[in-house]
Amino acid sequence: MINLTINGVPVSVEKGTTVLEAARYLGFPIPTLCHKEGLTPYGACRLCVVEIGREPNSRLVSSCTYPVEEGLVVRTASERVVKARRMVIELLLASCPQSKTIQDIASRHNVRQQRFRQEHEDCILCGLCVRMCEEQMMAGAIGFRGRGRGRSLGTPFDVQSEVCRLCGGCMEVCPACQARCTFNEPEKAICGACANLSPPCVEKEQFHDMMCYLTPCVACEIKK
Amino acid sequence: MRSFQTIAEFKAYRKSLLDAKDKGKPCLVICGGTGGQASGSNDLIRVIKRQILEQNLHDRLSLRITGCLGFCEMDPFIIVEPGYNLYPKLKMADVPRIVAAAVKGEVVEDLLYREPGSTVIRFSEQDIPFFQGQTRIVLGQNQRVDPIRIDDYLRIGGYAALEKALAGPDRGWIVEEILKSKLRGRGGAGFPTGKKWEMARGQRSPSGRKYVICNADEGDPGAYMDRSMLEGNPHLIIEGMIIAALAMEATHGIVYVRTEYPLAIKHATIAIREARRMGLLGKNILGQGFDFDIETFHGAGAFVCGEETALIKSIEGKMGEPRQRPPYPIVKGLFGCPTCINNVETLANVPYILSHGADAYLKIGAENNAGTKIFSLVGKIKNTGLVEVPLGTPIGKVVHEIGGGPSGTAKIKAIQTGGPSGGCIPASMFDLPIDYDSLAKAGSIMGSGGMIVMDQNTCMVDVAKYFMNFLQDESCGKCFTCRKGTQRLHEILEDITLGKGTPEHLVLLEELARTVKDTTMCGLGQTAANPVLSTLKYFREEYERHIVDKRCDAFVCKQLTGAPCQAACPVDTEPWRYVAMIERGDYEEAYRVIRSANPFPAVSARVCDRKCESRCTLGVSGGEAIAIRALKRFVTDRVKPSVYKPTPARKKRMKVAVIGAGPAGITAAHGLSLLGYGVTIFEAEDRPGGMLSCSLPAYRLPRDIVAREIKTLVNKNIKFEFGRVLGRDMTIHDLFVDKYDAVFLAFGAHESMRLDLKHEDVEGIYPSIEFLKAFNMRGEELARGHVGVIGGGNSAVDAARVALRQKDVTGVSLFYRRTREEMPAYEEEVEAALEEGVRIETLISPVKILARQEEIEAALREGVELETLVSPIRIHSRKGRLADIECIRNRLGDVDATGRRRPVPIPGSEFKVKLDTLIVAIGERPKSGFLANMGLEIDKGGRVRVNPKTLATNLRGVFAGGDLVTGPNTVIDAVAAGKKAAESIELYLRKQPLPRPARPKLPEVYIEPPQDPGSEGRTNRRAANPALTPAERIKNFREVEMTMPEKTAREESRRCLRCDLAFTAHKSADGAAPAAKEGEQHD
Ligand code: SF4
Ligand code: SF4
Ligand code: SF4
Ligand code: FES
Repeated sequence: MINLTINGVPVSVEKGTTVLEAARYLGFPIPTLCHKEGLTPYGACRLCVVEIGREPNSRLVSSCTYPVEEGLVVRTASERVVKARRMVIELLLASCPQSKTIQDIASRHNVRQQRFRQEHEDCILCGLCVRMCEEQMMAGAIGFRGRGRGRSLGTPFDVQSEVCRLCGGCMEVCPACQARCTFNEPEKAICGACANLSPPCVEKEQFHDMMCYLTPCVACEIKK
Repeated sequence: MRSFQTIAEFKAYRKSLLDAKDKGKPCLVICGGTGGQASGSNDLIRVIKRQILEQNLHDRLSLRITGCLGFCEMDPFIIVEPGYNLYPKLKMADVPRIVAAAVKGEVVEDLLYREPGSTVIRFSEQDIPFFQGQTRIVLGQNQRVDPIRIDDYLRIGGYAALEKALAGPDRGWIVEEILKSKLRGRGGAGFPTGKKWEMARGQRSPSGRKYVICNADEGDPGAYMDRSMLEGNPHLIIEGMIIAALAMEATHGIVYVRTEYPLAIKHATIAIREARRMGLLGKNILGQGFDFDIETFHGAGAFVCGEETALIKSIEGKMGEPRQRPPYPIVKGLFGCPTCINNVETLANVPYILSHGADAYLKIGAENNAGTKIFSLVGKIKNTGLVEVPLGTPIGKVVHEIGGGPSGTAKIKAIQTGGPSGGCIPASMFDLPIDYDSLAKAGSIMGSGGMIVMDQNTCMVDVAKYFMNFLQDESCGKCFTCRKGTQRLHEILEDITLGKGTPEHLVLLEELARTVKDTTMCGLGQTAANPVLSTLKYFREEYERHIVDKRCDAFVCKQLTGAPCQAACPVDTEPWRYVAMIERGDYEEAYRVIRSANPFPAVSARVCDRKCESRCTLGVSGGEAIAIRALKRFVTDRVKPSVYKPTPARKKRMKVAVIGAGPAGITAAHGLSLLGYGVTIFEAEDRPGGMLSCSLPAYRLPRDIVAREIKTLVNKNIKFEFGRVLGRDMTIHDLFVDKYDAVFLAFGAHESMRLDLKHEDVEGIYPSIEFLKAFNMRGEELARGHVGVIGGGNSAVDAARVALRQKDVTGVSLFYRRTREEMPAYEEEVEAALEEGVRIETLISPVKILARQEEIEAALREGVELETLVSPIRIHSRKGRLADIECIRNRLGDVDATGRRRPVPIPGSEFKVKLDTLIVAIGERPKSGFLANMGLEIDKGGRVRVNPKTLATNLRGVFAGGDLVTGPNTVIDAVAAGKKAAESIELYLRKQPLPRPARPKLPEVYIEPPQDPGSEGRTNRRAANPALTPAERIKNFREVEMTMPEKTAREESRRCLRCDLAFTAHKSADGAAPAAKEGEQHD
């Protein structure tokens, strides 16, 4: 067992636990965006930062990826954390104002405006879909490409992937692109599942044991 | 090649090589590294080889092709051993002479190295300041080995450290020794290498594998020391790696090098192969039961792969993306095995430490920062190249001594260290020692050792923008705040450089930069904001200039600069426009262009200090600037001022009092009178002109020109009251009582500074102002015999030249405390004075003057008094008359915070000069003490404090400008102050807010470029005004410069690059035409 204190409360947890898990266990709220139980922590959105160590040598780390250490001192809502978090939210709002998830987070943290040039992106590269596809659907149909400004998400060579199971799992987890998977604009979709006219449930043979996340689903609509 | 199974065998072989070292034969050393090859060293090598073959010189001469030697500025160069004679920047044709001389043991003097601008020959490498200042324990070896020959390396004692390490009692002592040496990682953050090794040693690997990785993924723009090390001395790195492996019981080694470094890869590969053949790599190394081998890995060149965890991922074949640490690579690295990653330079230090001992190593460098560090010194500096200095060396030493100071005339402003994620350190902090901790404290980092020197022509906002642009592409993109943060930082910086910045941007920029620093995962993100934060910290005014004043003083940001000549002009003249008019032959329009911006065209055409020309694109891009002032002279000499006749507005009721009828006062009065205000100018003398008539000598500015120009500016709204002196005849309060609604103070700086020496008031010693005034206003000739002038400013030079023209004068000497280059007078004036026979004695100063001058300078800059040098002072007088003065010689000492070298008196160098007249011209200050009693704020230099943007003083309705505010300054700056005052006073009188929001000064009028610019009749030489010969001008006051003929002027105007067109071309008929046509079609 590893002993640490979070916001002054001592806690002891199993080795390998993340700071986020430990803090939530104690009931301290930490906002997250790119984190989802059941998927490996990735650390992309930086919303879950907490302050560790003692001033003046303290620093911020993403709690979702940081493993607990013996004697660690954690603060989940110090002034520095709150300031940074609000700026992250501002940046998110500036890029993805249409996302319901981001709007909710912003309102919960009372961030009412952003000061950057407004953009309308439909992906914040949080990697949830990639991990969902790979780790839960065992498909690995989508991934990241490029770096920096040029980083983007998609299928290899931008054609619908052979291994895609058309399950809609990626859409299900996406915090930003709910609006993006529409049959109207298939070229904008990541995997193309939403534009699929023969959904997996129809061809049961091939995908008999898989979950389906497609909503709305063409097949379901027809069945009704 | 032999392979060795035991240490003893290997030792014997090494010894045989060391003994066989042939000493007698001269050797030509030439750099065959990437840098050398790029500048043509391969050609030289070919020539040398051919000559050796043809003349059969094999036994009398050897040739060594090495890696980078560091002095890349001088490439391609040859060093001839044993004398270490360095021949810089060679051409193929020079080579045969060098070879011939080397064989005979002679030197070719005319090709030997000299300091730029000096004639002193430096015979040997050791005499060259660039090398003298360095301690090259690592880099120095490059010169002595051919990287592809292992025997070369053995011959200089290579692999001795490995031998020692293998033979040691156990492996623990290696770690001990490294710990003791306090070696810190040279790749960035400076983590103690010993500690890292100790941890690595303690790790157990489940699979039995443990990795040592040499990180040669050098991604900083401009940095190339890792490349040079690997290219120039690969065995050194290999030896370091084997020792590291031995210390931590590692099994596998990898050299991670970027694909862009083919030569480094080649040399490393050859070296690994040779070491393996010799039995230094592979199974059972030298029979010691230790297995270790090295391979190279070629990285694809992403900047982020320099980060440990990203580098590991990249070797594993995944996307080069950092991951959360812990777990650290030491625990769980490459393929899950313990992995120790060291930078190239760190490893290069290891053999030295082991063979010389940690104690010897500790003696180099500073506390907690032992050893040396290699930097790649680039930018606006004379000697670019690789330099290796002990840690703790002050930045200033690297910049000024080793680097040789600024490469151009502009002053050095800052240095950027640590690559894209480093920070900028201002010149005022050049005392800072270069070590990990000091740099971090100053907001920068050591990084891998990039050093970019920046001068006054570098815009710091642009620098920050450049690095953000680099980082927004090089961030791996995983962390949202790193990816978007750098993009947003770049976006804001871009807005600022485009003139769209607002004060809120600055707040946002800082907040965002801190967030990026705080919330990102890896070192790249955590340091990405450094360029922004450090420039904000040290150069905030530059940001504010961009945002508030919409100006870029370095003339880098195009949208704030427009045509450089126009942006540089204090009174907003559009030189490109009148130059274009001259080109078309429309001289009257040219005159109107000039006159609409500047009420004193003819005066400016003679005495303006030509800020426009110093910024002319032609001049700064390597050519010769357009002779803009001479062209103005051409126009004003042939066009009557009456072509521009503004009509004053109907007289308003409000009145303004202007104190002082100099250029500032008259310009303001003129401007206000045109707006309809009644203006009264109060002038102490009996005629208008101020410094134009009392201090500027007639041979530069004929009196009738001044009088005529002033006459054109006077109209019925302007009244003069001569002989009326503020403070004597009236107070500011009186003026308001007299129903003046605003007051503009512009009576200049007419009090000469004193030397403060004993006997300064004896007959024969005159303050320069008094001397010039006596002559210019009353025709009195005060100088006679041998005249001494003290000072280096314009008035000193003017006084010297006026004295020279006086009847009873036999000779004039000018005494100045620094060197000619540092004289603040305009170059051309000094030039002319020298031609006329004024002797300039530089580096000589009457002892006490130093302190006085220092005070003026410091006061000029910030109003602080700083008196450092005080020593006895002597003026000898006989019977109440000056007899002689005693001077002391100076030498130039250290560079001070302003980038100039301080004069330091040399004790015992005093000497006497017999003088009949001494003119003291060490500066002037305003006679303004009485203003304080009237409630005005005055600074220590006697200057009136104003808001620089509005010229408003602390008293309501009172404005001040010109020399009274700035101290002695140029005519054109006074005119500019007059214009600004008129604008401010008018806003004030109309009860509008001051100042007007600034707008960038961009060209607005489109003027068609010359139709056929063909080469015919085009020159690239700058035209000059004809002038009287020195013989013609001595002893009279005829104007020295004359006007240029029409043909010359037209040709000169044709040289203009018309920088305005970039901003106005869209207004041209052609530019608008297509759009219009399209519109028609739609109809
Ligand atoms: S598509 Fe959605 S889930 Fe996938 S990376 Fe982008 S924002 Fe995240
Ligand atoms: S800080 Fe930047 S470079 Fe580092 S992991 Fe995050 S996104 Fe990638
Ligand atoms: S080339 Fe012409 S337009 Fe450009 S700066 Fe020089 S004078 Fe001005
Ligand atoms: S939830 Fe931790 S970084 Fe996104």
